[in-house]
Amino acid sequence: MTLESDRSGVFLAMPATVYVGLLVAAPLGVLVMYSFWTQTYVDIDRTFTWENYRAAFSDPLVRQLLVRSVWMAGLVTLLTVLLAYPIAYFVAFRARRKMLWLLLITIPFWISYLLRVFAWKLILGFNGLLNSGLASLGLINEPLDFLLYNELAVIITLAHAWAPFAILPIYVSLQKIDRSLLEAATDLGCGKLGRFLRVTLPLTVPGIIASCLIIFIPTVGDYVTPALVGGSDGKMVANLIQVYFGSANNWPLGATLSLMTMVSVGAVAISFVALVRGAGKAIR
Amino acid sequence: MTRLARFAPGLRAYAVIYLLFLYLPVLLIPLFSFSEGTVVAFPISGFTFKWYGQLATQDTLLQSLVNSAIVGAGTAVLSTSLGLFAARAYIRHDFPGRRASEGLVMLPLVTPVIIVASAMLALFLLIGLRPSLLTVILGHTFLTVPFAVSILKSAFEEFDPSLEEAAYDLGESVWGTFRRVTLPIVAPGIVSSLLVTFTVSFDEFVLAFFLSGDQPTLPVYIWSQIRFPAKLPNTLALGSLLLGFSVLLLIAAEFFRRKSRNAIAKVKG
Amino acid sequence: MTGNTIIELIDVEKHFRSFVALSNFSLDLKEGEFFSLVGPSGCGKTTALRIIAGFQEPTSGVIRIGGQDMRAIPANRRPTNMVFQSYAIFPHLNVADNVGFGLAKSGLSRAERKQRIGEALEMVALDGLQRRNAHELSGGQRQRVALARALVMRPKVLLLDEPLSALDKNMRESMQFELRRLQQSIGITFVMVTHDQYEAMTMSDRIGVMFDGRLEQVDAPSALYAFPANPKVASFIGGMNFLPATLLNERNATLSIEIAGLGSLDIGMNPGVTRHERDLLVGLRPEQLYIGRDAPTDYDVTAQGTVTDIAFYGESVRYHVQINGVPEPVSVSVPNYFHTVDFKRGDAVWIAAQGASVIDLGTRSDNEPTKQERKV
Repeated sequence: MTLESDRSGVFLAMPATVYVGLLVAAPLGVLVMYSFWTQTYVDIDRTFTWENYRAAFSDPLVRQLLVRSVWMAGLVTLLTVLLAYPIAYFVAFRARRKMLWLLLITIPFWISYLLRVFAWKLILGFNGLLNSGLASLGLINEPLDFLLYNELAVIITLAHAWAPFAILPIYVSLQKIDRSLLEAATDLGCGKLGRFLRVTLPLTVPGIIASCLIIFIPTVGDYVTPALVGGSDGKMVANLIQVYFGSANNWPLGATLSLMTMVSVGAVAISFVALVRGAGKAIR
Repeated sequence: MTRLARFAPGLRAYAVIYLLFLYLPVLLIPLFSFSEGTVVAFPISGFTFKWYGQLATQDTLLQSLVNSAIVGAGTAVLSTSLGLFAARAYIRHDFPGRRASEGLVMLPLVTPVIIVASAMLALFLLIGLRPSLLTVILGHTFLTVPFAVSILKSAFEEFDPSLEEAAYDLGESVWGTFRRVTLPIVAPGIVSSLLVTFTVSFDEFVLAFFLSGDQPTLPVYIWSQIRFPAKLPNTLALGSLLLGFSVLLLIAAEFFRRKSRNAIAKVKG
Repeated sequence: MTGNTIIELIDVEKHFRSFVALSNFSLDLKEGEFFSLVGPSGCGKTTALRIIAGFQEPTSGVIRIGGQDMRAIPANRRPTNMVFQSYAIFPHLNVADNVGFGLAKSGLSRAERKQRIGEALEMVALDGLQRRNAHELSGGQRQRVALARALVMRPKVLLLDEPLSALDKNMRESMQFELRRLQQSIGITFVMVTHDQYEAMTMSDRIGVMFDGRLEQVDAPSALYAFPANPKVASFIGGMNFLPATLLNERNATLSIEIAGLGSLDIGMNPGVTRHERDLLVGLRPEQLYIGRDAPTDYDVTAQGTVTDIAFYGESVRYHVQINGVPEPVSVSVPNYFHTVDFKRGDAVWIAAQGASVIDLGTRSDNEPTKQERKV
């Protein structure tokens, strides 16, 4: 339909595809290679071995961290999306100045991510905002010490960090809904709740899935938040990967862990999407 | 709409509380940047501008800021160029493998960064590329291509293909058509792609941490300050300045967007 | 008015993968004529126009403009200019810069360009709006800018892709006359693509009717109306009743036939169709039939029937009349002239036709009209 033939489409798409493709395939290839090698103090022994996988599978710490990472990422995703949905709904259907609200929602995320995480430390810490506030109100005598350095702190911090990534896709899918569909539902006898459950919610499922994937997948591999506010209870698999690539200097084991994480994330994400789609079909 | 709005007091209250949740931690940063204490913790002691005043003398901090700017600019230009071609191909052409290519290009958005970072470090070392700002740019370009592609795709979607045909029909060459018609019309998309990819790169930590070697970017510097705070108040001051700067930039961008919509810029041939 | 050939398309084929958009397409266009390609959507008419413009390459076949082979010449170097369906007004340029867009490489001085732009805008009655921005224009003004922008290039042929489809009904009608007047005053060839047969009829010197990538008939509007080459063309250009008939006798240019249920009469022979069997198909235009309470005396055939359906169009009324021995109700259109006709459903009426208004469509088995075409 344009000046050029279809072939030039291939040429135009080539640079980005090849770039991303190469930077997906090549590093993964290198990881796979490393995962079959062994670290010997300063050198790499390049004889093929399954030893890293055997070690990783038999290590209870690895299993525990992997399961915890997936579990916490799931919780974070659920919490973030649940908290975000009403906001997206409010902005799409009720707010008068949508652009202003969207701007207000995005501005906090223009400050460094690291400083934002650090700020949660200031809020949840032993001498933090929350404890000082509660103490000055006379609600507590001793500062609460279960606020920081645990899973809860990680989940709160991440639910904050991911907020716009949940709000925006859901907002877009709400905004796309033809308003006459809602009037049709009312016209056909749906109450407010019925209308939401039977029309609005199903139509926003693509937005919800997008938010979930965008939050869940990177969260499993999050490194900063558990390292800053997670303490020893809140550590996740990325922290272990970093240790192997950093101070422990055992790249083959780090590579193995990276690949295992990737496979788990992929498996969970694919089954999640399949589950939601299946559930959607079953309802219809 | 106004009628509807009045009937949602609960939702509105929730929205306001949610905004507080979003802003609470962010407001602490500027707050502590004016606090006199070197240790950043409650209670806040005194009020001072000295952390801002000292910024100009913080060599490592300023160097990391420069590094981040270089990386951000390089990344923005690279990924926006890749995105421009790809987005055009996806919207204007149908070719075998288009959907596969579109899917692949979006992949970085859903890949855990720690894995990308470790894998790229391993790859770059293997092919003899030492960690430097260049490797960070290469990595950040990978991360930001999906943003550039989606922004530019929507720019091309709103762009009537017969505009280019009209220019060609009126005797322009292919390059002239691109320069006189395509470029001016997708310019807002290009600018917003540059801004977004710059911002994402500017704030990215994990990849930069793995790939920057001895040339730390700003987030890598901030990381060292958060863990072993020697100059933390300075960092908070810088963070607050950057926040203010970004908000100004955002307002300016919105202003220009509206202005360009009202009085469309002229491009002379 | 028309003279030498300006555009020649010889055996042009265009395939998109397995889809055949144009098949065996040959066409000669004359200098100074207003030519329309008309047909339902997807019939290939826009593809033909875009092949002339150079936006698409034919899969095979030859295209010449002014005697010169165009196959190696890209769209930007062809002596044609196009008015796009969406008008394609550059949103970042004002009216003058839009119109002057193609003059950038003409080597003209700024003053000359300005004058050419002014002349072109005057031609489309937009002089004075030079500095107006693209988004401040109404639909009709956008169309005029698109016209001026193409005409300022002084093309040998102006191509118009559904130029009126984006306008509302009143604007469309006044633009039909204006485009025609403009074409006659400039004197260059206009090639217009439209799906609206009435638009094509009112504006064109000649019309090409297309179906499924094939050019079915090329003729002047009055000839298309009087002698359609087949039922497809017949039903596309105006309404048509298709009736089976038997050939009784054939002499010079006259056929004696018997129409089932109506009777026998003499009709003119259609030179564009063939007759190799006695079973013929004939067409009767709804507006050329008589309808009344009494049997008329001065018609070739008459028959009695019953009104089954009535459609009121304002300027005319259309009745469906069931006649014994005729397979389907016959459609009759009557001008709503002083409300002289007013039948009700179930009324008994007389139908009558003159031999001169019955159209010979050739052997019936050659072109059995489809269900859709039979509808009038």
